[in-house]
Amino acid sequence: MGNSPLEQENILIRQLRRLIQSIEAAGHSFLPSTDQVLLQSIVEAAARIFGAAAASIALIDESLQELVFRVAYGAGQESLPGKRIPLDQGIVGYVAMTGQPIAVSNVQQDPRFSQSFAKSTGYVPRSILATPLISGDRVIGVMEVLDKISAPSFGLQDMELLGIFAAQAAIAIQQSQQFDRIDVALINGLKAIAGDESPDLQACLDNAAQLAGTGSIEVSDLQELARLIYDFSQLDEAGRRLCIQVLRTFQDYRISRPNFLK
Amino acid sequence: MPESSELPAWSSQFSLESLQELPLNGPLAGLSRDWAWGGSTGKGVSVAIVDSGLEYDHPRLEGQVRGGVIVEYDENAENKFRFIDDPEPQDLCGHGTACAGIIHALAPEADLWSVRVLGRDARGRAIQFAGGLNWAIEKSMQVINLSLSTGREEYYALFHQLADAAYFHRVMLISAANNIPAPCYPSLYSSVISVAAHAGHDPLTYYYNPAPPVDFGAPGIDVEVAWKDKATMTSTGNSFAAPHIAGLVALILAKHPDLTPFQVKTILVACASNVHLAPA
Repeated sequence: MGNSPLEQENILIRQLRRLIQSIEAAGHSFLPSTDQVLLQSIVEAAARIFGAAAASIALIDESLQELVFRVAYGAGQESLPGKRIPLDQGIVGYVAMTGQPIAVSNVQQDPRFSQSFAKSTGYVPRSILATPLISGDRVIGVMEVLDKISAPSFGLQDMELLGIFAAQAAIAIQQSQQFDRIDVALINGLKAIAGDESPDLQACLDNAAQLAGTGSIEVSDLQELARLIYDFSQLDEAGRRLCIQVLRTFQDYRISRPNFLK
Repeated sequence: MPESSELPAWSSQFSLESLQELPLNGPLAGLSRDWAWGGSTGKGVSVAIVDSGLEYDHPRLEGQVRGGVIVEYDENAENKFRFIDDPEPQDLCGHGTACAGIIHALAPEADLWSVRVLGRDARGRAIQFAGGLNWAIEKSMQVINLSLSTGREEYYALFHQLADAAYFHRVMLISAANNIPAPCYPSLYSSVISVAAHAGHDPLTYYYNPAPPVDFGAPGIDVEVAWKDKATMTSTGNSFAAPHIAGLVALILAKHPDLTPFQVKTILVACASNVHLAPA
């Protein structure tokens, strides 16, 4: 590593840019498919265990006050994911708003049932069992199983069992959402470091682009940082606060001693 | 499948095969349903339903809704919630109206009050719930139906405090047990009346469970309930068991207004469908 400090800084900025691009291009790069695969396996297991014709998970989009179906198994497996329904509509909306599980035996006669939505998915169920996905005290989504094959309706025992499944799904979603947020926070932080708007930095980047032979040490450092942040996010609130406090103290110190890192 | 396995943990004690027939001795044996609530309509008893609101003009509630309050989550408020007066309540989803309809069917002249803590905003629910419960206690509601709960451990103390406040103010808290055996407040506290579902449909058939934390089993499976937009529907859940007991408590209090929560619970035990006079 015979580069001067300025050259090293330029390399770092360039690598930051690349990292930002790759993260953004990949969407949520760190834990994307795992999450989807896990949710898919949860709805599949639920449908099989309950002997249900279909199962699905929808998550709340708070900004739009809608539920977005994320995964489905059985009927609607292809058509349902990505579909949206307003929070105050349908049986899923009811469960999301009350945070209470519900079993409905004659869905078509249920005033809350959204015929138009069901038809748009190509599948109109007879019976529904739906339970909220709860993270902390927030409802983050709804898990439902449709049409018990062996019986006309779902019972309380089904409701209890689905609650256990839902708790598992909620943990998986919670962790991936924390990761999503960290992704976004990291990208924003990196953008700030790379200083999108600064013409001087642009010049630096242009400079940096001409430098060859970049190792990926800094990138792996950032990945290590991302891992650490993820680990911190798994702590309880007090633990997270402590970590933030430590980092902030370091940051304050760094600002007060401009030559500290030189 | 045997019937017991159709019911979840909290309700399994109310299945036909595990249901305990309990003998009653001593002075309690003199308590009868006729003495407890015979001839009562719940007249004048104030019942708060802490839930998703009440549809005040729903035909199943027959004009018994007297008003209420909306507890909204508010990031900037000191307690993270604020109260909005709600003289003609509406129900955002139907759950509260369903519970109120069950209470009204049993106690047709009880006054119904809406305490809306559930709704579109999926955030801050536990603190809204606590705020609504506190409101109902301070307004001296005599019966409070809680077909909702929180599982958050950090709210354990707050809800315990509220349950004690209710108990000391002679406010009856009727709380639905969670549908899964998990931390669930306030239904796990000893001073509340905790209710799970049994599979029967007769609204006056309820069972006492001598093994806490669930006190009573009442109808909760495929119950026909009132619903949003003046509708009715068939629904299942412990949510619909609790209001059956709340309705009976309103009947008892209309006839015996000076009873304390532990006396009411005692009367409910003595009059339960599985509790019988011991053979002499």
